[in-house]
Amino acid sequence: MSSDSPFWLRKLTAINSRLFPRGDANLTRLKRRQALFAAIGRRLPLLRTLLFVAGYLWILAIPTLPGQGTYIDENALLPGQVNTNWNWAEVHAADRYLDHIEKLRDDNATSEQRAKYFAEEFKKLGIPASTQNYTFSTVFGDSSGTNAYATMSAPRSPGVEAMVISASWLSRTGEGAGSLNLRGVSTVLALAGFLRRYSFWAKDLVFVISDDYLEGMQAWLSAYHGISQSNLHTNDLDLSSGVIWTALSIDYPGHSFSHLGMFHEGLNGRLPNQDLLNSFIHISKYSGGVPVILYDYVDHQEYPDQYDLLPSWIPASVRQHPDVKGYLYRFKNVLRHGRYQARGIGSGVHALFHQFRIDAFTIFALPATGPHGFHAIGRIIESTLRTTNNLLERLHASFFFYILTDPDNFLKIGLYLPSAILISVAMMLTGLSLWVEAGWTTSGDKKSTDKKWTRRKRPILHVLAIMISTHLLGVTMFYLVNNKLFFRSRICPVAVMLITAVPPIYAIFIPAASPSDAPLSVVLKALNLCFASTVISITTVLNFSLAASMAILLGIPLSVSPTSSRRARPKTVYYIAYALFGLGWLVLCPEGVRKAVLDWETLGVWFGPFLCIVIAPLVLQAGVVCILV
Amino acid sequence: MKTPSTVPLGLVFSALVASRLLISCTSIHEYLIHDHQLSSPLTSFLNLKEGIYLFNNGVDPYSGGVFRHSPLYLSLFTTILSPSRIIASLLWTLCDSIGAWSMVRIWRARNNIVQSSRDVLVAALYFLNPYLFLPSLAFSTSSIENAVSLLAIMFACERRTSASLLALAFLVQLSLSSVVLIVPIILLLITSPISQLVSPRPFSGKWTQSLGHVFELAIYVLVLTLASTLVSGDFLWISQTWGASLTLPDLTPNPGLWWYFFTEMFDHFRPFFLMVFSVHLLIYIAPICIKFQYDSLYATFLLVGVLGIFKAYLTLSDPGLFLSMISLFPEIYPYFRHPIVTSLLHLHATMLLPLFHRLWLTQGTGNANFFYASTLVFACANGAALVDCVWAGLRIAIGEQVDGYAVTQE
Repeated sequence: MSSDSPFWLRKLTAINSRLFPRGDANLTRLKRRQALFAAIGRRLPLLRTLLFVAGYLWILAIPTLPGQGTYIDENALLPGQVNTNWNWAEVHAADRYLDHIEKLRDDNATSEQRAKYFAEEFKKLGIPASTQNYTFSTVFGDSSGTNAYATMSAPRSPGVEAMVISASWLSRTGEGAGSLNLRGVSTVLALAGFLRRYSFWAKDLVFVISDDYLEGMQAWLSAYHGISQSNLHTNDLDLSSGVIWTALSIDYPGHSFSHLGMFHEGLNGRLPNQDLLNSFIHISKYSGGVPVILYDYVDHQEYPDQYDLLPSWIPASVRQHPDVKGYLYRFKNVLRHGRYQARGIGSGVHALFHQFRIDAFTIFALPATGPHGFHAIGRIIESTLRTTNNLLERLHASFFFYILTDPDNFLKIGLYLPSAILISVAMMLTGLSLWVEAGWTTSGDKKSTDKKWTRRKRPILHVLAIMISTHLLGVTMFYLVNNKLFFRSRICPVAVMLITAVPPIYAIFIPAASPSDAPLSVVLKALNLCFASTVISITTVLNFSLAASMAILLGIPLSVSPTSSRRARPKTVYYIAYALFGLGWLVLCPEGVRKAVLDWETLGVWFGPFLCIVIAPLVLQAGVVCILV
Repeated sequence: MKTPSTVPLGLVFSALVASRLLISCTSIHEYLIHDHQLSSPLTSFLNLKEGIYLFNNGVDPYSGGVFRHSPLYLSLFTTILSPSRIIASLLWTLCDSIGAWSMVRIWRARNNIVQSSRDVLVAALYFLNPYLFLPSLAFSTSSIENAVSLLAIMFACERRTSASLLALAFLVQLSLSSVVLIVPIILLLITSPISQLVSPRPFSGKWTQSLGHVFELAIYVLVLTLASTLVSGDFLWISQTWGASLTLPDLTPNPGLWWYFFTEMFDHFRPFFLMVFSVHLLIYIAPICIKFQYDSLYATFLLVGVLGIFKAYLTLSDPGLFLSMISLFPEIYPYFRHPIVTSLLHLHATMLLPLFHRLWLTQGTGNANFFYASTLVFACANGAALVDCVWAGLRIAIGEQVDGYAVTQE
């Protein structure tokens, strides 16, 4: 090839000789493979950084991602296609019930008296009703109450399926902090009297007025499904009905309301089928004339003042920009969703239904001075029930994995899942490159190009022993925290924190590896990262918010633990930093620990055990890496 | 770590058996016994109990289409034992112990030694393998099949021909797919179990001997078949037990590859693909036995791995047996190509399987495709392990890599 041939020809020839080289085909194949691996290996740090950055940016960008508009997938639902009959007579009935209930409240009626009154009222309407007493015994003592419920058998079918309309005595305002759901309860009673008059029900209607905030409904659902829970003492239900497919939970704490808020996160991160939510939104907006919001966040276009959240040093032109406010609005929605889902606590009474594969959500009447009241909420619920009444099979057509950025837009799983996966892939690559690094060592001059690579043994059994022992330590810690004595004094959390001293002591007693073997710290870090990455990428499907939180919190800290002794001089300082990061919550947020333990004991929320047995030990392992260096 | 030579095998072994028995006496089986991953319709303890109940009440258990266990189980549980909790705990612990003990004996036979420091590790890897441990806690009869197949291999290694062939005949009675193991075990009987992977050479056994073995095995199988027929009264059991693994009448999900494929298939393709899937299992026998003619134990091991991927009505025990058997061949470890990838795949699969099973059947947010996807990951993991074992078993003959030289395949 002469040097004066055109540029493109030279390039083509070079590519050609790369693709079809002369000489031994096997040798060139081997060389090509080695060159490829070497090229990837050289660029690995860059690739890793890129993956981390892309992952974190993607998570931040979730509220702005171009989702798609919600739509109804199940044709049988036909939302808003019926004439509603709920009218002022029913509103009057609800008002009369409210008067009675307010009197009960003012007389400080006990749970039992209240439940008795509700059951009596149901019976007066001609619906079989009963009450259920329950007691939960937890490490914080016993708590008991009484539920009232009524089952109206469907006039048109053998009662194989059922829908639940429920209200809890305590409203979800402040996560059951104490405000009463009086109007919600009156609505259920008035609805019972009203719905009974019609013959088009194809499913049994079950009305439940549960005591307390979550506990009452948990007791009722456990009894209904015949699940025995060791710390729940309750009697069997007198009345039964069919398989529950859908459930509505009504929460109407104020005097009037301006918007209907929708809460949909279930226990342990389960979400209801989107068709149910979309039908409700459709009905509320177009038949009921009430705007729907997510949670209690009003729309940024209607109430721009509420989204003036940025600090004042940012120029007003940015702060006041509608797009910025729109981002903040959606960010708040996504963050709220993530906070419920990641902790697995669910966002209301409806969350409990999700344990039993029942699609449910809470209708929250956002307290305001107006303009809506019993008239609007009754009509919307009537129409929603008529829609779910149409179902021929369980809700299955629409999405179960989604993030609602606002009531009308959602993200499919493919749009948000890659964010956490990218971070977990970056962690996996870091782990694998350390694994390779541990297995090979160069001898001779480091600068010479002709490095001689020799294999060395990796002490896998020791490392696995360390990893398993930290997780066993996590189990021990969980049992200690899940104990009456733990909450007696403030010293106990600190004492449990001392458990973190065990892994380094254990690590010290591991005999030093022979110099020809790979250092323990590198292998431990490699396997720790691989395991953490696996846990994150698999959790994404079950509970994306939890996986994303883990990716955000663990991604960088686990990857940057020092593996060369020069950088990790104050070893104990490093370890203590990791230990505080992994277990600091024990001391720093006693309320959160309390709630996690209570949720685990009464509702079976997995967050507490998962944190103790999986996440905290992963961080401790990263700390042990620093000790072993 | 303790130096292995100081740990007496007897002590560790009894400790493992005792802890195994203790765990199986708790109520843990209530959570596991219904699990699709641990027991298939062919190995489920609940189905076995139902069949025994029907049998005791004078109803032919094979007429209903629920009971698909061998009549040998029927006779065992109606005459000698009763299918109670305690008996089951004891029997399944015994099976695990037999399996672990056979592994130790195979290891000793392979290295031609009386005892070694590795015995403890071999036994522990059988006892503590979760793929073997959990099905056994769920009283899946696949644990019994594993014990019987290890017995057959052990007797073959120790040249106890009749015992080995009898165990093999029992194994075929209990699970038809195990016919795959007949050829390598007979080859093992006429050669030696000692590792020949480093020095491949042509087949050294005497072919004529194998004819006698085949004949003996045929007689055992015939006798057992007659016994089964006597127990159940007619020939219906054949189509219900052996036939089930060929015609796949029950499409209950399991971690294998068959169920989803045949759930989705149009009926008119079914017979053809049933044939393809069944024959596919058999085509591995000849190449593996020919390639590893100098080391039949290794060929047996690889075919156990094939069964662990492609068998109909797979449970976790089947790949578990293969994975635990890797501990018998430490000489190949340095030649593995991608052990970390295989382990990570298995880690992913073990977490995905129960998770997607739950998403589909308990939580209701996933569907059958989710679980199917996780079984594919599982199959990939098992495939990666098998391919790596084949690779390492062949590569070891060439020896360590020398600088400046490369090994390639022509």
